[in-house]
Amino acid sequence: MKRIYTISGLLLLFTFFTTAVLAQNLTVKGKVTDATTGEALIGVTVAIKGTTTGTQTDVNGAYTLNAASNATLQVSYIGYATQDIAIAGQANIDIKLKASTNELQAVVVVGYGTQRKIDVTGSVAQIKGEEISKQSSVNPISSLQGKVAGVQITNSGAPGASPTVRIRGAGTVYGNANPLYVVDGVWNDDISFLNPNDIENISVLKDASSEAIYGIRAANGVILITTKKGSKNSKATINYDGFVGSQTISNEFKMATGPEYGELVNELNAQSIYPATGTAPFPDPSSLGNTDWTRQVLRNALITNHNLSINGGSEKSTYNVSFGYLKQNGTVETQNFDRYTLRIKNDFDVSSHIKVGYTIAGSMNNSRDINGDIFHQIYSALPIVPVRYADGSYGDPNDFGATSSAQFNPQVTLDYFNQRSKNYRVNGSAYAELKFAKHFTFRTSFGGDYGDNEVTNYAPVYTATFAQRNTTSKLTETNGKTRNWIIENTLNYNNTFGDHNLTVLLGQGAQSYKFNQTIASAENVPDNGNGYYLTQGNNFFIKDIDPGVYPLYSTVSSYFARVNYSYKSRYLLNATIRADGSSKFSGNDRWGYFPSIGAGWVISEEEFMKDQHLFNTLKLRGSWGKVGNMGVPASLATTTVSSPGGFVYVGPGGYTAIGSNVNTLTPPIIAWEKGSSVDIGLEASMLDNRLFAEVTYYDKKTENGIFAIPILASLGTSGGSIIGNSATFQNKGFEVTLSWKDKIGTDFTYSIGGNIGINKNQVLEVAAGSTAIYKAVSTTGTNNFNTRTVVGQPIGQFYGLQVAGIFQTQDEINNYTKDNLPIQATAIPGDFKYKDVNNDGTIDDKDRVVLGNPNPKYTYGFNTYFAYKAFDLSADFQGVAGVQIYNANIGSRFGNENFSQDFYDNRWHGPGTSNTYPSAFIAGGQNNRSNSFYVQDGSYFRIRTMQLGYSLPSAISNKLKLQRVRIYANAQNAFNFFKYKGFNPEVGGGPTVAGVDANVYPLYATYNLGVNVTF
Amino acid sequence: MKIYQNITAKNVAIIAFATTMLFTGCKKSFLDVPPQGAPAETVFWKTGDDATKAVNSIYANLRGWTEVSFAPIAIESLGSDETETGSDATDGSVPAMNMYNSFTATSTQGFIADFWIGRYQTVNLCNQVLDNIPAIEMDGALKTRYLAEAKFVRAYAYFRLVRAFGDVPLRLHLPKDASEFNIPRNPKAEVYAAIEQDLNDAAAALPPSYSGNDIGRATKGAALALHAKVAMYQKKWADVLALTNQVKGLGYSLFPNYEQSFRTNNENNSESVFEIQAELVPGNPDASNSQYSQVQGVRSVVGGGWGFNIPTQSLADAFETGDPRRDATIIFRGETTPEGDAIPNSVPNAMYNQKSYVPFSMYQSGFNEGCQQNIRVIRYAEVLLMNAEAANELGDAATAIASLELVRARARGGNNAILPKVTTTDKDALRTAIWNERRVELAMEFDRYFDVIRQGRAQAIFGPMGWKPNKNELWPIPDAEVQLSGGILVQNPGYN
Repeated sequence: MKRIYTISGLLLLFTFFTTAVLAQNLTVKGKVTDATTGEALIGVTVAIKGTTTGTQTDVNGAYTLNAASNATLQVSYIGYATQDIAIAGQANIDIKLKASTNELQAVVVVGYGTQRKIDVTGSVAQIKGEEISKQSSVNPISSLQGKVAGVQITNSGAPGASPTVRIRGAGTVYGNANPLYVVDGVWNDDISFLNPNDIENISVLKDASSEAIYGIRAANGVILITTKKGSKNSKATINYDGFVGSQTISNEFKMATGPEYGELVNELNAQSIYPATGTAPFPDPSSLGNTDWTRQVLRNALITNHNLSINGGSEKSTYNVSFGYLKQNGTVETQNFDRYTLRIKNDFDVSSHIKVGYTIAGSMNNSRDINGDIFHQIYSALPIVPVRYADGSYGDPNDFGATSSAQFNPQVTLDYFNQRSKNYRVNGSAYAELKFAKHFTFRTSFGGDYGDNEVTNYAPVYTATFAQRNTTSKLTETNGKTRNWIIENTLNYNNTFGDHNLTVLLGQGAQSYKFNQTIASAENVPDNGNGYYLTQGNNFFIKDIDPGVYPLYSTVSSYFARVNYSYKSRYLLNATIRADGSSKFSGNDRWGYFPSIGAGWVISEEEFMKDQHLFNTLKLRGSWGKVGNMGVPASLATTTVSSPGGFVYVGPGGYTAIGSNVNTLTPPIIAWEKGSSVDIGLEASMLDNRLFAEVTYYDKKTENGIFAIPILASLGTSGGSIIGNSATFQNKGFEVTLSWKDKIGTDFTYSIGGNIGINKNQVLEVAAGSTAIYKAVSTTGTNNFNTRTVVGQPIGQFYGLQVAGIFQTQDEINNYTKDNLPIQATAIPGDFKYKDVNNDGTIDDKDRVVLGNPNPKYTYGFNTYFAYKAFDLSADFQGVAGVQIYNANIGSRFGNENFSQDFYDNRWHGPGTSNTYPSAFIAGGQNNRSNSFYVQDGSYFRIRTMQLGYSLPSAISNKLKLQRVRIYANAQNAFNFFKYKGFNPEVGGGPTVAGVDANVYPLYATYNLGVNVTF
Repeated sequence: MKIYQNITAKNVAIIAFATTMLFTGCKKSFLDVPPQGAPAETVFWKTGDDATKAVNSIYANLRGWTEVSFAPIAIESLGSDETETGSDATDGSVPAMNMYNSFTATSTQGFIADFWIGRYQTVNLCNQVLDNIPAIEMDGALKTRYLAEAKFVRAYAYFRLVRAFGDVPLRLHLPKDASEFNIPRNPKAEVYAAIEQDLNDAAAALPPSYSGNDIGRATKGAALALHAKVAMYQKKWADVLALTNQVKGLGYSLFPNYEQSFRTNNENNSESVFEIQAELVPGNPDASNSQYSQVQGVRSVVGGGWGFNIPTQSLADAFETGDPRRDATIIFRGETTPEGDAIPNSVPNAMYNQKSYVPFSMYQSGFNEGCQQNIRVIRYAEVLLMNAEAANELGDAATAIASLELVRARARGGNNAILPKVTTTDKDALRTAIWNERRVELAMEFDRYFDVIRQGRAQAIFGPMGWKPNKNELWPIPDAEVQLSGGILVQNPGYN
């Protein structure tokens, strides 16, 4: 209540501000419009040059000014080049302003508004929609890869999947480390429903001062997305964009062939029963057959994309309607994905003071899914098993001596996996805006996000091979529901007093998030060929998908304010405060307060810079702020009752009864996880605006980091840990962006840009003190921990034994001693020789060392564009460096699975054959322990996109009654360079499990031909 | 038009205020969202139904991974001369298992931690019940029984802890606050005293038997029999004799067919004193989560299992000639089981545990192999053998011989040509005979390792495998726990 009165008090205060109007000789009138679109420009400063006298255009773009008849008007507006116009006695002067080519003069979208980049005191990068839509990526965020310094995008190859996005490193461990997406004011966790063609621009907010206005969920960065709208007074423009292409595996991963496999299994057999006895399983490996499972399972897959949009506007309204259709076949046989999107945006000027508008977007996608184990199967399936026998029945691994861990024919896995998913999403917002008392704008908006997803999985009864069979059919239906809404009210005040410009924003909002997912299943459901019905089966079972996590329901109430002040466009000040109350926290810790302050000095506006010609603009900026992270599970400080399946009481005859108990310890309180960051940057536009440079230093700390710290196991909790605000993490580094654009003659234009982010991730403090937190991520064996999080080191670093070499002979094992006792007595030749780091004569967990870092130190990109007459060519390059991957695939073996060809080529198979790769017995003995062999260089460099376009000369397109026709050929991810010995160096994963490769989607390239037509 | 020009900031403030109040006016209720998915503890522990659910969880937990799978195999079985690792040399868990077979496991090895964690998780579930149920208003008789059931299970958990680790932190209540988190190890004698107190309380309150859906819950006989075993480990022979005599008075009898008594259709039979219940619950693999049979099942056959904890030749040779228990205890490679499963010669191990065996035809895809199999914790046969041993120690050879003969007679199955009655009255010879009988009668039931240590014969029997006196009587306590305690917990001798 108190807070509300404060707001209205401030409102009253603003009404006392007035604009000074001075009497002059001649009254000049006119209208200021955009030179390209013809749209009226509101709030343009029209001043008399050399004086402090001036005015601003009204909502119709009109201005009136008294001036001396020989004076000169100086017309300036953000994002446009300033114009000087001599009055020369004219009483009516209409002015057309041209958009500025200076990057720093461009308008960027910031939280709850727009600003010239020159006026921004934080780190904001903006990408134009066309940069996104011209790529063949299905998810718009995937296309940001390599475009923005400090933004690490890790793409997944799965159709329709969202990439992992880290802005300035991972800043949370327990919560969600993905950024917040704000689409036309609606907050989202994921935007895979969004059609890239609908995007006008994307703004990435990287520092706390620009993010703090989104306090609550801004700790991982904020990505603002504005969708396209029509322009006023324009005829309907119809655009068609479409492409068709093929996705192919770009770095084909080779497995051992049948004969090679035979040799390896013979060696494995000899090693596992050492010294060897009996006969080799494959006396004549060269006679073995060969199935290339990679080629059998993977394919070149078609991708088709069509987008049609119509936009335009009248004097009082604009509209934009777009429709998109995408069909993407997966690179795995049987897999496909299609998506339909529809977006309608309308804005109306109800009067000169009132504007209303809405956006409504619907999307629907369908997919036929694959069994997620298929990549592991490609990696493991025996190459000596044929896909099918001559009689058409499936090749059976059991006929070829497969151990239970390799009892699969991947073709059977593909053929009998029957799962379809559907997603429906309706997402939209509506607003009303009222301008009053000249300088005020009140805006109220409501947004909603409603989604449903359905996954239907049917396991039929079948017998394909010895182990691949199913005796009881089962239908499983998973249904998820998303129900989110957001309401916001803002009041904006903007005024210029001579050299002072002031903008004040006050806002209030409320949000609600609900998500639930339930699974229903039934057994013995008949497969009658036209759908499956739960009601036709028995043994019904229904549950929440994961009662520990879902359903989710949380609410937020917020108040926020921002002041932007500038003096002579030279000294800039920006301060924000946001207060958020979240239902996820309780009591006094419920409200979080997130302040920020930023300052800028536009050095180029100073008198002493007047005579230099190097810099067009030069700005130094610095900011500090705090942001929150609400992406943590709700009610962490509330002890709840667990009722997992493992607590179900069972009795004779299949009697069951629910069991519940308390098996966790909860902290007495949980407070907001807060990110605080310092950001200092220098931005310059040089050499006639041809060179743009930006250098930023940042130091981002996550304080009160929510973290599960280990507690004594004798307390008997289920996870062995207690959650608390118990850690501080830091990401600090530099970002450099450089771009050059120029023209040579009249026909050739080009631009070259590059960016690099250097980040260091470190845990500064953990309540557990020096006790490390270990995780076993996709390793075999019990408690075979391969990642560690500890003070002074990066989150989730790789940890394990140090390989000193490979034991070549029994003598070498016997001679590897401490105090005359063998250190690895049970080793055999071909095994890893581990370093006895603590020198105690045994190899155990106390000998582990740091093996690598899954958080890349460097992320970089280069972007180029060349246009000559009707041709245009662009090429983007991108990469990461200073990063490691834990290759969990190599050691993940339980029997006679296949090996990679790299392993075959380099393995130890007798004294002197290798001192780096072990024998085929790699999963046996102590060889599977987390160690330095499994940690590999994860750096890569790739040609992200290459695109060549040709626009038809207007003479021809006009004949076809078309405004513009451009055809292009595009290649994405065509060339990738990396040393990593796995499918794909792009390995995602949450903060403590990042960079562990187990079952990663193979890397593929997309080649497509497309056309852009404007009617 | 004019109307808009007359809009003042004050009017807008009123609109803003009104909209604000509309959505956040009842600010308290808007931000007060109850926990989703699982109820808060504050609404639990209120009714008799809550008490039932909590006690249910205690029993369900007993079939969990750390209770019946790898950790018990490592800690309670592999050290003995009756089992070895088994499985396939290429399986990632084999090296770790081998460390228990060869007594090379160090305090950082995972199964030690798992065994410790698992027992204390059980203790916590029991303490939750024991601390919270007394305040619930409910049927008094049922409440008394529930408390007694929790005490029985807690005693079982502490008995396994004290056998494996010696002194252990004794938690008989939930910690009040963080100051009670980090407590030192209590001397073994205190732990034993607490176990015996729990079992006395349990035996006094538990019914001798149950009917219907309650079959399988802890009985008076279970409490007495477990107490007898606890007393036997402390050589309190008079107590062992008295307690086993009480059990004898409760109407148990040996199941006629030894081999068949371990099959799923003969679960909870007349010989069963305490069995952990496990079922295949159609549609619910989470509730069918026992892996007891799976981890020991015949490797490399569908419906079998992973093939760990396999019988040794030493065990196979320990049976007297013609003893049918040999074939009932061990699945030999190449044999056909009485249930008709032919074990192919291609399986990697020569022998598997038959007592955990579930016919392959009962396997259902999507479920753990053999998840139906109950785990026999205490059989009446063991009660008789404890009775015999105690009687012999107390000089009553006649009673000892009589009890022993009951066990041998059942094994004999009517074939008088085998397993002659033991007749010696020499105390040492009779003791040896009883110990040998324990070895074969209880083979593959996770008894042998600690039994031999209790008998004081470990160096003689396990020494050749690497067992060392003054060290291997106990396993190390988990290194992570020692580290977390910051010096409050002290490691067992010989492990640092």
